[in-house]
Amino acid sequence: MQLPPYSMKKHIALVGLLAIALSACQPAGQGGGTIKLGYIGPLTGDAASYGKDTLNGVLFAVEELNAAGGINGKKVEVIAEDGKCTGADSASAAQKLVNVDNVSAIIGGQCSGETLAAAPIAEAGKVVLISPFSSSPDITQAGEYIFRDYPSDALKTKAIARFFAEKGYKKVALITENTDFASAFRTSLTKDLGEDAIVFDEMVDPGTKDFRTLMTRLKKVEFDVFFPNAQTDAVMAAMLQQLREQKLAQPVVSHDVGDSLTLPEIAKDAVEGMYVINVPAFGEGTGFEAKVIQTYGKPQATIAIVAHAYDATMVVADAMKAGAMNGTAIKDALAALTNHVGIIGDFHFDVNGDVVGVGYVVKQHQGGKIVKVQELSLDAPSATATGATVEDGSGAVMEKEPGAAMEKKPASAMEKKGDAMEKAASSK
Amino acid sequence: MQLLVNALIAGSLAALIAGGLSLVFGILGVYNLALGQTVLVGGFAAWWLRQVAGLPLALAIPGGIVAGALLSWLTFDVFIRPFYRRHIRLPLVTTIALGMILDGLIILLFGERPRAILRETKRVFDAGAFQISLEQMMLIGFTLLILALFGWTLHHTAFGRRLRAVAQHDHAALSVGVDAPRLHRLIVVLSGTLAACGGIFIGIDQNLSPTLAFPLTIKAYAAVIAGGLGNVWGAIACAFLIALLEQLTVGIRWFGRFYVPAGYQATIPLLFIIFILLIKPSGLFQSGRRLG
Repeated sequence: MQLPPYSMKKHIALVGLLAIALSACQPAGQGGGTIKLGYIGPLTGDAASYGKDTLNGVLFAVEELNAAGGINGKKVEVIAEDGKCTGADSASAAQKLVNVDNVSAIIGGQCSGETLAAAPIAEAGKVVLISPFSSSPDITQAGEYIFRDYPSDALKTKAIARFFAEKGYKKVALITENTDFASAFRTSLTKDLGEDAIVFDEMVDPGTKDFRTLMTRLKKVEFDVFFPNAQTDAVMAAMLQQLREQKLAQPVVSHDVGDSLTLPEIAKDAVEGMYVINVPAFGEGTGFEAKVIQTYGKPQATIAIVAHAYDATMVVADAMKAGAMNGTAIKDALAALTNHVGIIGDFHFDVNGDVVGVGYVVKQHQGGKIVKVQELSLDAPSATATGATVEDGSGAVMEKEPGAAMEKKPASAMEKKGDAMEKAASSK
Repeated sequence: MQLLVNALIAGSLAALIAGGLSLVFGILGVYNLALGQTVLVGGFAAWWLRQVAGLPLALAIPGGIVAGALLSWLTFDVFIRPFYRRHIRLPLVTTIALGMILDGLIILLFGERPRAILRETKRVFDAGAFQISLEQMMLIGFTLLILALFGWTLHHTAFGRRLRAVAQHDHAALSVGVDAPRLHRLIVVLSGTLAACGGIFIGIDQNLSPTLAFPLTIKAYAAVIAGGLGNVWGAIACAFLIALLEQLTVGIRWFGRFYVPAGYQATIPLLFIIFILLIKPSGLFQSGRRLG
């Protein structure tokens, strides 16, 4: 086929124009006076509320840094990419951040699938990736450059198993949304509860909202407790509503996803009384919350996610302030960190980059609010043992005045506990 | 029994959307791929009127329907009418573009969070063999009423005759004095109205989230294709059939031995459709030229 000559010229002109337009989009350039931080999270889609909150946490931290003169005199700039809670989108976001933008570090992803997909790219580019919200046990082994200030589900399912034992729940009905986070959670929970304890175990397509027939079947099953293992609150709300519509009155226990104030808004009565086992409501009722609300409005999910993202940003910023300016130096600084005082309390990272120092609490949905009902110890069987009081003390203080006036707990006790758990988790 | 009720609930919703879609396709020959978004706009508008503006449900629901109708009017006059005379497939592209614009607008206007028009758990009736909520009964009743009304209009009124005339032959209809373009607009608005009703029902029965649009469109098209392109009753029947298959897939202990894992719930009915199309490529209910 012959192209008329003018069309060729036109093409060249177009390509030229495009190149100019593209180069105009490039930020000031590497040598400029800014430090670039990447962000990956679900800014659109069903999980967008987590994306919004965590991005606000990062932006809030950066605003504070810049107001105080930036990092070593350089202003910090955030380049936010939409991971859409999927591996594919997150991987291309990571490619861009690592290879095009040359960011110093990445805060994200939020959904575990995002983090797992971005991890190899960050690892290959020697860029630190720190997730504020991913909890899949798989991330523990994701790489040297991969950190998180959110605890692994390997610990959480142990805590849940403890809570079930305390309450005497023996038969568990479980419905899982087929995503990286939820299915890893299912595996971990099944391991800790024992396969026989799961009397109903179904996995549905991501985004399913019609659980009526599953609930109809569930009616014929004898179970003590229902566990809605959903990736998003939209799906969890549908599960809960349809459970209660079938007059199934069993107690419900859920994980992080249940820790959302959107739930009572869309499923009022159905969510009432549901237990949530999660990290404490860090930042709630503090000056931090007040400032965040003033700047960005009420958090879409919870203030705790904002706090995790804020701390993840600050811990990286601190490493850079101390002179670690490239990926490898930041990685070494984070690995060597002994204590960071953040909104979520005192924490540091273990050899796998998992956070040490964040415990769990049991919360409950009560009249449209999420109320803390008890601490959850990961130590020896009896809940009133000394281990529990350590967490009680710090937990209580943290809720009132996070970051400030925390008694200096010797991190060693917590650390050992964390390490032991990690070993247990990785030695499967 | 409960399975049948479940299928009736899901099927009514799908039938509302697929029926309107099939009508548009049968008469205009145009694919409207922004239909899922129209569903959401109707639902979100009703949510906004109820939960943000605080209007009673009796006003919020008509409000949502009007929003859907206005949107589909705009869809027709801006994204379909200027194009479909040039080539029948052009609106395929323009409505995809519209769908993307609407996806963005929905997030911008209503936020990313899931929303529910009614927050309370529904009042559930226990009918012995099955349970159903008042809202669900109303949906099923409403759908059947709409369908009956529609059938009556199509076959027993002058308007219906004009509609059928246009469906059979545009130009011929025009030459005997039927204003075809005006009817086309009306059909698109009607389908948008039905879609908005579907959206409002989703908002009442479950919850609305901005990502629902595309899966809804796909499901509606599955019903339209399986029912025989352009055959409204076929599309409606297939909407119910797909819903029933979905419920049976996971709800029955097959051969008394095992349950199909719930992850296959959406897959098996679609496989069934492929199977039907292999045997009967014109669709399950294709019955010749007659519309409706």
